[in-house]
Amino acid sequence: MPLRDITTPAFFLGAAAALLVSVTLASPQVNDWVFRCCTLIMLATSWNLMANAGLISLGHSAFWGVGSYAAVLTANGLGLSLWLALLPAFAVGVLLGAFLAFATGRLRGIFFAISTLALSEGLRITAFMLPEVTSGAVGVFLKQELRPSQQVLYSLGVLGAIGSVALAWWLSRTRFHYACRAMRNNEAAAQMLGINPMRYRLGVLMVSGGMASLAGGINAWYGGYLDPGMAFTLHFTILSQIAPILGGIHTLVGPVIGSIGIIFLSEGTRIAFGANEGYSQLIFGVVLVIGILFMPHGIYGVYRRLRQRAARPRNHAPTHIHQAAEGTPKEMRS
Amino acid sequence: MKTLLSIRNLRAGYGESVVLEDISIDVEEGEVVCLLGSNGAGKTTTMGVITGLIPAMGGRVTYQDADLLRLRSHQRVNAGIALSPEGRKVFPNLTVHENLLLGSYSPVARPHRAAKLEEVYSMFPRLAERRAQKAGLMSGGEQQMLAIGRALMACPKLLLLDEPSLGLAPRIVMQVFDAIARIARTNISILLVEQNTHAALSVATRGYVISGGRIMLADDAAALRDSVLVQRAFIGQSGGSDAVPAGSRRHA
Amino acid sequence: MELAPQMLVDAILLGGVYTLMVIGLALSFGITRVINFAHGEAIMFGAYGAFWLLTVWGIDPLLSLPLLLAGGFVAGFLVYETAVKRVLHAPHINQILLTFGLGLIFQNVALILWTGDERSANPNWAFDAFEFNMVVVPYGRLIGFLVAVMLVAALFAWLRWTELGRASRALAEHNEAAQLVGINVSLTYGIAFGISVALGVAMGVLVSFLGAINPFMGFHMLVKGFAILILGGLGNIMGAVFGAFILAFVETSVGYYVPNGIGWAEGMAFAILFAILVLRPRGLLGQEVEG
Repeated sequence: MPLRDITTPAFFLGAAAALLVSVTLASPQVNDWVFRCCTLIMLATSWNLMANAGLISLGHSAFWGVGSYAAVLTANGLGLSLWLALLPAFAVGVLLGAFLAFATGRLRGIFFAISTLALSEGLRITAFMLPEVTSGAVGVFLKQELRPSQQVLYSLGVLGAIGSVALAWWLSRTRFHYACRAMRNNEAAAQMLGINPMRYRLGVLMVSGGMASLAGGINAWYGGYLDPGMAFTLHFTILSQIAPILGGIHTLVGPVIGSIGIIFLSEGTRIAFGANEGYSQLIFGVVLVIGILFMPHGIYGVYRRLRQRAARPRNHAPTHIHQAAEGTPKEMRS
Repeated sequence: MKTLLSIRNLRAGYGESVVLEDISIDVEEGEVVCLLGSNGAGKTTTMGVITGLIPAMGGRVTYQDADLLRLRSHQRVNAGIALSPEGRKVFPNLTVHENLLLGSYSPVARPHRAAKLEEVYSMFPRLAERRAQKAGLMSGGEQQMLAIGRALMACPKLLLLDEPSLGLAPRIVMQVFDAIARIARTNISILLVEQNTHAALSVATRGYVISGGRIMLADDAAALRDSVLVQRAFIGQSGGSDAVPAGSRRHA
Repeated sequence: MELAPQMLVDAILLGGVYTLMVIGLALSFGITRVINFAHGEAIMFGAYGAFWLLTVWGIDPLLSLPLLLAGGFVAGFLVYETAVKRVLHAPHINQILLTFGLGLIFQNVALILWTGDERSANPNWAFDAFEFNMVVVPYGRLIGFLVAVMLVAALFAWLRWTELGRASRALAEHNEAAQLVGINVSLTYGIAFGISVALGVAMGVLVSFLGAINPFMGFHMLVKGFAILILGGLGNIMGAVFGAFILAFVETSVGYYVPNGIGWAEGMAFAILFAILVLRPRGLLGQEVEG
């Protein structure tokens, strides 16, 4: 699928504009939305990278959580500033991704998904059971004197989002992308093409993991407080799955569109139903289910189909290629 | 004699590739009809369409004067069509007895289960000996008998046999075809797909030769035995390779 | 080592209950090859159902069990027909995300209906215990164990001796051949799914008097359930039984012998899961898993 999307330059322009807006305009509400959208974009892009290689993560909260804790604990322990504290956040995500790659080996599909769930739950319990390190259930506050201004954090969020998408875009231009796509469809066949699945899997998980944990770290600094439940919560990280589905899985722009859509939905339900968390999560669940059943290629897929229909009359060859690119319904079971 | 199964201008295949271009076959009541052809010619695809495992892209299939293509697979079994598939496809971890019980799963066959079991066990004494054994552990010949027995349990009016001789030693092939001949005498109509033309034509009354997704020849068994065309069809239409890959049948 | 007999009894009782927890999941996966990520929510609704029937109508959980079983079956069948059926032949990711999304919906419906407060259904007998050779056996746990054993045994009997059960086994073994003998695949899948949810609901009824109820309890049990299934071998029902007891033993012994063990016991499932994935992905009784 061609990723020289005309929308890509538009995205970067839009993102630059958002950065300007967020730094100059002082409205905290808007900035908060933008910030949450940006961390979600990072998470969603990270998730999408894994999905592109056929690895479905259900426990992205594992990366988010370790990143959060790393950013806060190292800062508190070593008195680090924001930028320095984010380095360990990124590093633990990369390491965790590597661990996951080695633990799951060549296993795909269900096994991988379940492992990510187990990883997330296991880490949550570990964080809970080691209060000497993590302050357990009581939670840990980021030391007040270390906290930067909100403006810095907003800008960082936007930078993080742009960086993630840029990284994903760059990867999509390289051999890495095609290798992952081949792996997604059929790892055995990919191997015959000279692709070493283990090496690419390791790469995907490390990059993706680092991205997600960085997002977690940035978010932890934004919020200033952390406990095992919050760090490893599924509630926010579930959105990292829904956003790409909603926007258009396996595309570059999908996670972005989806994230924006999710934040709108989230705020919309909050305004409509009050702070009761159940409603917004319920709507997300419905969006996910409806998306899978009726719009598996997301909003972007709908957009693209409409564009195709307008551009060409029925012509078999291109649609066939698109089907193959998207991952046909006859994809092999793992 | 009444026509039990009638296939007209059938077109079918897998996904984008077409295997059957234009197939027309009749099976009348009480007949044994064989379908001959080399690998990839479309014999198993034909069976797939009749049983409902493969959808038809065009053409008509009539069974007992009604449109067969409207029925789902399990409904066709209930209507009296049973297949002993290529490769036997027994349930490996279930016992021989359980496999046979499953053969009479459909509502039409269940009341006759006990009687049918008797029949099958007396026709295939080896199965009776091994009734408690897991089907997957049996030899190829035994599995073939089981597959046929299982199909018989469905009280079929039309018995479909797909390559019953595949992978079997000549002595076993003889035993299997003896059984087929005996079944034929009970007035069940049989459509038999085979690469072993000699064995097939020894039990069949009529036959068709498929090549390249089309019927090349249709005649009495005796005439087919002598036909040069039959022999040629087994070398493959393009000459040379015996196995014509299904994927080469592209929609032009 | 005086703790040993008590530990043994506790482990066995827990093993039985764990078996019930996973057997539904093993069944639906074994037959339809779809992993139901909403299975935990079946358990959760079963628990709330029993709780509601007890507190509002005064019906003992054991009496409401048959009713809830029936309800669970119907619900499972409907979920299959409306949603799961459509992704049967879709890529794995669709199946995973669909059932995951359904789970999310159910969790939050429960949250909205019943709030996040913890509940428990406590019929009178649940608090008593009897003693036997210095081993204390709470009635609640014993009854839970017996119910679990009965239901699992009933399932095995169904699989072995009934038409539908045999058909389900055939379907699990060889999908195509099952169609050829006249099995209505879609209907059988729906029934298997319905039974699987019913068994989950039954587990929920047990939890209602064995533990605490909240809208998110299903998730934790789901992940443990996966650990058990992978340990036993995905797709193998006997394996699920073994896995359940092994996990029960590991958790109980950690709880007894490791300082602060109760907390760590909860994490054992995950440790076991990763160990299995690294050492022997096919689990105890499963088939060879390809990469």
